[in-house]
Amino acid sequence: MTTEGMLTSSSLKNPWGRTLYSLKRTWYKFSRNWLSVLGLVIVVTIVFLAVFAPYVAPYPQHAGKFVDFKGKNQPPSWQHLMGTDTIGRDILSRIIFAFRNALLMAIVVLAVSVPLGTLTGLTAGYYSGTWTDTVIMRVTDVFISIPPIILALSIAAVLKPTLMNSMIAVTVSWWPWYTRMTYSLASSIKNEYYVQAAELTGASKIYILFHEILPNCSSSLFTKMALDVGWVTLVGAALSFVGLGEQPPKPALGTMIAEGVERMPAQWWIALFPALAIMFVVLGFNLFGDGIRDALSPEEA
Amino acid sequence: MPDVMDINNNILVAENLVKHFPINLSGIFKKKWIAVKAVDGINFSVKQGECFGLVGESGSGKSTTAYMTVGTYAPTSGSLVFKGEDIARPAVKRPMHLKKDIQIVFQDPGSSLNPMRNIQNILEMPLRVHNMIKKGNSIEKKVIDLLDRVELPSHYRFKSPITLGGGERQMVAIARALATKPSFMVLDEPTSALDVSVQGKIINRLIRLQKEFGLTYLFITHDLSLMRNVATRIAIMYLGKIAEIASANEFFQKPLHPYTQMLLSSIPILFDEEAKLKPNKIHSVGEIPSPVDVPPGCSFNTRCPFKTDICFVEDPVMREIEPEHYARCHNI
Amino acid sequence: MSETLLDIKNLHVWFKVYGGVLKVLNGVNFNVKFGEKVGLVGEAGCGKTTTMKALLRVLPNLALIPEGDIFVRGKNILKLNSRELADLRGRGLSMIFQDPTSALNPVFTIGQQLYDIIKYSAGSSGQKVANKKNVALSALYEARLPDAERMLDSYPIQLSGGMRQRVCIAFAIATARDLLIADEPTTNLDVTIQDQVLRLIRDLVEKKGASLILITHSLGLAREITERVYVMYAGNMIEMAATSLLFKKPFHPYTQGLLSSVPRLSGGGFAEGIPGRIPDYRNPPPGCRFEPRCQYAFEPCSKAMPPYINVGDGHQVACYLYQDVQGDRKNA
Repeated sequence: MTTEGMLTSSSLKNPWGRTLYSLKRTWYKFSRNWLSVLGLVIVVTIVFLAVFAPYVAPYPQHAGKFVDFKGKNQPPSWQHLMGTDTIGRDILSRIIFAFRNALLMAIVVLAVSVPLGTLTGLTAGYYSGTWTDTVIMRVTDVFISIPPIILALSIAAVLKPTLMNSMIAVTVSWWPWYTRMTYSLASSIKNEYYVQAAELTGASKIYILFHEILPNCSSSLFTKMALDVGWVTLVGAALSFVGLGEQPPKPALGTMIAEGVERMPAQWWIALFPALAIMFVVLGFNLFGDGIRDALSPEEA
Repeated sequence: MPDVMDINNNILVAENLVKHFPINLSGIFKKKWIAVKAVDGINFSVKQGECFGLVGESGSGKSTTAYMTVGTYAPTSGSLVFKGEDIARPAVKRPMHLKKDIQIVFQDPGSSLNPMRNIQNILEMPLRVHNMIKKGNSIEKKVIDLLDRVELPSHYRFKSPITLGGGERQMVAIARALATKPSFMVLDEPTSALDVSVQGKIINRLIRLQKEFGLTYLFITHDLSLMRNVATRIAIMYLGKIAEIASANEFFQKPLHPYTQMLLSSIPILFDEEAKLKPNKIHSVGEIPSPVDVPPGCSFNTRCPFKTDICFVEDPVMREIEPEHYARCHNI
Repeated sequence: MSETLLDIKNLHVWFKVYGGVLKVLNGVNFNVKFGEKVGLVGEAGCGKTTTMKALLRVLPNLALIPEGDIFVRGKNILKLNSRELADLRGRGLSMIFQDPTSALNPVFTIGQQLYDIIKYSAGSSGQKVANKKNVALSALYEARLPDAERMLDSYPIQLSGGMRQRVCIAFAIATARDLLIADEPTTNLDVTIQDQVLRLIRDLVEKKGASLILITHSLGLAREITERVYVMYAGNMIEMAATSLLFKKPFHPYTQGLLSSVPRLSGGGFAEGIPGRIPDYRNPPPGCRFEPRCQYAFEPCSKAMPPYINVGDGHQVACYLYQDVQGDRKNA
């Protein structure tokens, strides 16, 4: 038994009324846990910083070709809140610009992995038990077994190490996880009565996959996507730590840590703040992802 | 497609219908397959316009029979003829006009409607699939029309199934089945998951819809009191075979098969006038054997209070004991 | 009173949800004497499961109990600490659930689960129970399960539905209990097995001198097994009487509507059921909660919830249509 509460028949007729109501309800489910709201705040902050980096960073020019040997290795102070690095660049500004690359990588990786993984997973799941399933899933298994960093290293050895190439490497190892997830969801959803009803009425396979099965995977998908932004950032940082990815002088979180590691523990701020920034991103998107999962969870009776 | 019925006005005829589900128990070294004999040779026919009831407990094969009619499964052997056309194949292999003409209402209203879509989308689906939208008539109007037929208010089309009660969901499922203007509807325990006070509403509506649209129903349930008030003819199934077929009156007033009597004597009743109609108490003993391991001879011999020697050796055949009243037992 | 085992007085239970509070239980009064078999009848959403959960103290965190008390053998169990609660659950109450498949842990054998129950039945006293195996075997034997020795080593998945429910019954009666709560114990079973299982429950309860609360939506079952019946609607007990009296002459309009909705074995079609839906618990009607659907509603019905009116012979109704009858006055 579910109560509709504020949803009266008159507000139902108005499409804006319905949208507003469902938004309010989703927000209620999301905000029940204060940690999710914290995650949302962090995510919004990161996105804002990334988008408006040139206007927000105190020393935007430090993110490019800039050298100031007089001001190098300065500890945190009021002029440089996170200190300066080995060639005098402001670490805070570089971190803000590094967020841009992190988010860009996450967006590109997900933009390719999610559609590819979801399509293959839906198809394999719906046809589970047949050759289609076997072929798709074994190919997926091959890709899953490739460690992303080794793959990235190989690609860098063949092609130049750039941000684009590291994005390719991460994407290639990322999409199979979406296939797996969608596969297990689709193969159980296809046995539900509403899918059978559609099949028996004669709906086309495309219709069933996209209009009956996919909507029921959406909550898992969106949750995973939110969490993945954090994890892609982490993998991207690992790659740039070993020298793949965005090349200097463009800032990347992993590269900054690599530069600072040599200077530990004397100039601790050079490595620590970028590391904290990575933690900030992963934590924020994790908490946000938890909130998304709660917000999209089905209504309870 | 012209309506082709035989001289008896039968819309659906099943002959020696069999459905075995193979289970692979093979090990590495030896191959072993066993068959779950869900339906093991049944014969029945449904006349146009009647409500044919199929009764049985779990493992009897009634749901499997229903699903074969709609096309979820293909029969292992035997024939199934609908309006003169052979439908002994799964729905994917059936022509569209059959999918339009035979519809099903499932048992569980909770999972027969997609929780992530609203009622409008759910009811639009069959209309779109069968291209039933004429120019000029908006699809929204057709959906409101369908809701009206099952007496649900028109603003329900914006709701999601989760916000509806069980009875209302089942009404939507019925509206969805009616959308393609079928002539035959399979109702698989449509009210088992619902409360008693809602059940009456739904059944009454179903009966009215049947009269209004000239539908034929194949009604499946395990609730005999319900069946008494709905069906015109009833068949009772046990372990994949039909034990008795009779008109509703005959079935309840003069049950011939021991299993029918056992079932009737077990149902809880409320009023003294009903108690007089129950046969003398045959305490049910034992459980239904597994359909994998059907006993030889008559499959009811493990529980029958009237069994004799022949019951362990020979499987009885269906005989017409009285006019239009068939039963399958050696000892009648 | 010393002969009252369970006494629920004026229980209110609220759930916090989006947009407000669901005021589910609205002053429930319910009692059970030692050795008595009481039925609790009501439809989906009326609050019977919530009442039982409150009794077992397993309500979810979002639930509040703003008012009301539950007394078991004179002790207020809403104020127990965890040690005393463990005592209560280990020795006082036991429960049989609706779905035996999910009530049994699939990865442990029957024997392992039964030994656990026997072990915990010592409650907080920490005594070791001697001869767990004998206790287990005798419990299985009493539940009329064949081959008890082999049953101890079987897994739930190897048993049929009826056997699993009998195993759950064995779990419930393995050690001495005062109160057995059976929550729709036969809904998922076939009719013939249902009959056997219910008779088993009744016989065991009588043999052990325990009390029984049978929760069901099937009026027929309540009639067969219980001595006294409560009818529940939307969070209130609206009628209570000895079983035979209730079914012969129901007083409350809801009970009358319910009884007339049940299909009869004697035929005669279906009543229209009861119009309307259960109220929205966020904004329940201020007076009698059945008032919006009641055909006899008049002026006082919308003002306040009616009190219990005695209509003689221990029959109580919460309805303004009736007045107290002099003479036979028994407390609820």
